[in-house]
Amino acid sequence: MRYRRRKSEQEKLMEEQPGSEADVKEPAQPSYSQLSRNIEYLTKALKHSNDLKVRVLNDGNAALLYFETLADQEKVQEKIFTQMEFGKWDSIAELPNGKHTEDLEEALKVLLRGHALYIEDGNKKLSYFSVTTEINRSVEEPENEKVVRGSHEGFVENLMININLLRKRLEHRDLTIKFFRVGKKTNTNIAIAYMDGITNPELVEEVEKRIKSVTADTILSPGFMEEFIEDNPGSPFPQVLSTERPDRVIANVMSGKIALIAEGSPTVLILPSTFFMFYQSPDDYNSRWFSGTFIRIIRLMSFLIAIGLPAMYIAIIGFHFEVIPDDLVPPVKSAIDQIAYPPFVEAFIMVVIIELIREAGMRLPQPVGQTIGIVGGLVIGDAVIRAGLISNLMVIVVALTAIASFVVPSHELSTTLRMLTFPLIILASTLGFIGIVFGIMFILIHLVKLESFGNPYFAPVSPLRLQDLKDTFVRIPLFKLDNRPKDANPIKEQSMGESREWKRNGKSKKSKQTKKSK
Amino acid sequence: MANQKNQSKQKSQNDAAFLNTKITRLQFFFLIVQTQIGVGVISLPYNLQQVAKQDGWISLIGASLIVQLLLLLYWLLLKNTPKQHLFMSLEKIFGKWPGKAVTLLYCFYFIAVGALILMLYTRVINLWMLINTPKWILTTFMVTAGLYLISGNIKVLARAYTLFSGLMIILIVSLIYGVRNANFIFILPIGAAGLENILKGVNEGVLSLLGFVFILIIYPLVEGTDKEKLKIIFYTQWFILGFYLLVVFSTFTFFGAKEILLVPEPVLYMLKAYEFSVVERLDLFFISVWIVSVTTSFTTYLYMAGKGLKHMFNSNKEMHFMIMMAAISLTLALTFGRGEQLIGQYGDIVMKFGYLFSGLLPVLLLLIFLARKKKLTGSDSK
Repeated sequence: MRYRRRKSEQEKLMEEQPGSEADVKEPAQPSYSQLSRNIEYLTKALKHSNDLKVRVLNDGNAALLYFETLADQEKVQEKIFTQMEFGKWDSIAELPNGKHTEDLEEALKVLLRGHALYIEDGNKKLSYFSVTTEINRSVEEPENEKVVRGSHEGFVENLMININLLRKRLEHRDLTIKFFRVGKKTNTNIAIAYMDGITNPELVEEVEKRIKSVTADTILSPGFMEEFIEDNPGSPFPQVLSTERPDRVIANVMSGKIALIAEGSPTVLILPSTFFMFYQSPDDYNSRWFSGTFIRIIRLMSFLIAIGLPAMYIAIIGFHFEVIPDDLVPPVKSAIDQIAYPPFVEAFIMVVIIELIREAGMRLPQPVGQTIGIVGGLVIGDAVIRAGLISNLMVIVVALTAIASFVVPSHELSTTLRMLTFPLIILASTLGFIGIVFGIMFILIHLVKLESFGNPYFAPVSPLRLQDLKDTFVRIPLFKLDNRPKDANPIKEQSMGESREWKRNGKSKKSKQTKKSK
Repeated sequence: MANQKNQSKQKSQNDAAFLNTKITRLQFFFLIVQTQIGVGVISLPYNLQQVAKQDGWISLIGASLIVQLLLLLYWLLLKNTPKQHLFMSLEKIFGKWPGKAVTLLYCFYFIAVGALILMLYTRVINLWMLINTPKWILTTFMVTAGLYLISGNIKVLARAYTLFSGLMIILIVSLIYGVRNANFIFILPIGAAGLENILKGVNEGVLSLLGFVFILIIYPLVEGTDKEKLKIIFYTQWFILGFYLLVVFSTFTFFGAKEILLVPEPVLYMLKAYEFSVVERLDLFFISVWIVSVTTSFTTYLYMAGKGLKHMFNSNKEMHFMIMMAAISLTLALTFGRGEQLIGQYGDIVMKFGYLFSGLLPVLLLLIFLARKKKLTGSDSK
């Protein structure tokens, strides 16, 4: 059973018409026996599009239809005409690599998928051949998720290649792929991948339900899907982790989560996600656990710096000057004395400037982007201090904040963090520490309330799961991570048995030997 | 008739949804701890010192023992009325309408305490951190935070309290730092204040421990057997006693008997004296963390008040009642919170009602239950 499933994956993709409820309503048009009526129906349905090629064969008794722009000429040659030259078959319709249908609507769909359709006069049976061109980028390391050690493969824009990358890494029959089609007009092919027997079936059901409920015309990228299926669109926090790294996807699938892959995008979504997953990187597991832990703690510290540092600074300067130790008071005072603006305005200007530099540098070609960085960072930063607009301390604070926000391995969360500084700055400049406390309290309450596919977002800290903390703030050695995290409620919790008995065995043997010798 | 049936059905569904949410024993622990520890921390040593002199800590232990005894009685009641929270038991044991009336009284009491918490908190903030900030801004912030917390279900409350409890480590560490330069001579001689004063001090101690009524409402949601739950209840009281003793000892031994009477917020004055090379004025950070504890206490009272009202009206629109109660507490806090004296009088009255609502009524409930046990349990099994 399972073997068949794997083998027929390709065909499944071609034939699967998911969202079947919607498809049932679509009209089925039985084909005619006359060639001209068939062709007329098809060309009319395709609005006489100019790139539809109709090749008349057999003195007008048959025709081969395909989109020039979708089909590969060489494949047409190889799969159809070369085969015919062998002379084994009388008609193209009898070729063994063709598939058949008697439904013109179905024929339309396969044409749009890049197949070549062969129609004979006097025969209701339509044959089609897969001759789709595949224009693919090669598998490269994703620009935004680079690692130092470990795999440098990244997903590409082709769904089949992406699934291939997953299957290569996870050669097990339990890896289940399910295809769906979303987007009434774009007809985007998406797939979910999960481990049967580890992933909670209820979760799978929920994900399927949500995917099927999408009725939009256009689904272009996983980002579209994310907004349609996430729990809480009103939250600033991303509730679905997106990644372009196959190893990261596999790690998550193995802990009972579901990966959502879409045709046309290298981004894969992981459902459900927790807040702390955004702070994990494959690098943590590639390096020694000491350094992995160290780096992870640095990253989580960056969270506090990114959302709290400017607010803290403003609160201290504006309200609680007495918190600064005596020796530090003169330099701080001399730095801010000459500035005309209140600290709130200073911080606001500086944060906006940094955002401008970032946004300007991001879309420009690399050399220009670097220039922007230098002009923006060095020149403006220096000039702004000399002009007396902004204190040098504020520049340090805001620059540190910006750096801290980029430490997060996830781009979305980093944007969220930089956005969250604004309300905190406002609160700090109106109520000092009290404002910050309430601001952070609101953020924490929000995080506690959030759920991603029915699973608490801020786990394992809240609700507290001591077992799962082993891989949250710290990363203890891999052989000690013998239980899957409960983030996604996996039905199989244990992830390994004894792995390092040889060490214990050695010891016990020794003790046995000594006992014997005694 | 049909209408009535419908109503009771809806009600049972409401309660069932509430009773079906499960909270773990750890969350139960922190829910209680965070409710009981709140505004009192800052002025507790001062209040104890005023009546019981340097023997205030003995009063505190006595108060905790009384509370533990009372909680044992609570537990007896709760054990016998499974799957029932306070407001359900009130109606069942006192009868429908008297029960509803008592529920309403409870709601008033809860919201009055909530308003008191708001007043005391704004007083401290206005005194220590933001002298010119209007009271209504500070109270509005706290009320909004409370409402936001409540707007999830009880599970969110439990999770958030557990999370916020991590901050208590900061409080505890800064207090332990205070013990460093303790002068234990200040609490000697033990028992010098006399039995009468110590007993008066017990009163102050009990008042600082109020908030345990919350157990009556959330007990049925906690996972585990009755015995395990009882254990947790005692653990919470021991933890709170330990924490308060730390507060009392660190300040008593730092200031000495006479000095403490000059400082109404001894904990803050003590922390203010410390200097570190990185930061000064530890008291400001202490207040910042303390605000979180105050918010949780306030939220619990708001929650209980709204819950009671909702139960009384048999409605399923919980948030409406919560917002209503929040508005009442806000107005109460702003009208009575204007003068030092007014706060004092208001506080005295509300605190005395604590004995009625946390002590007398639940015990009465237990007694009536025991007297009519057969009848009540009999009708239940029908």
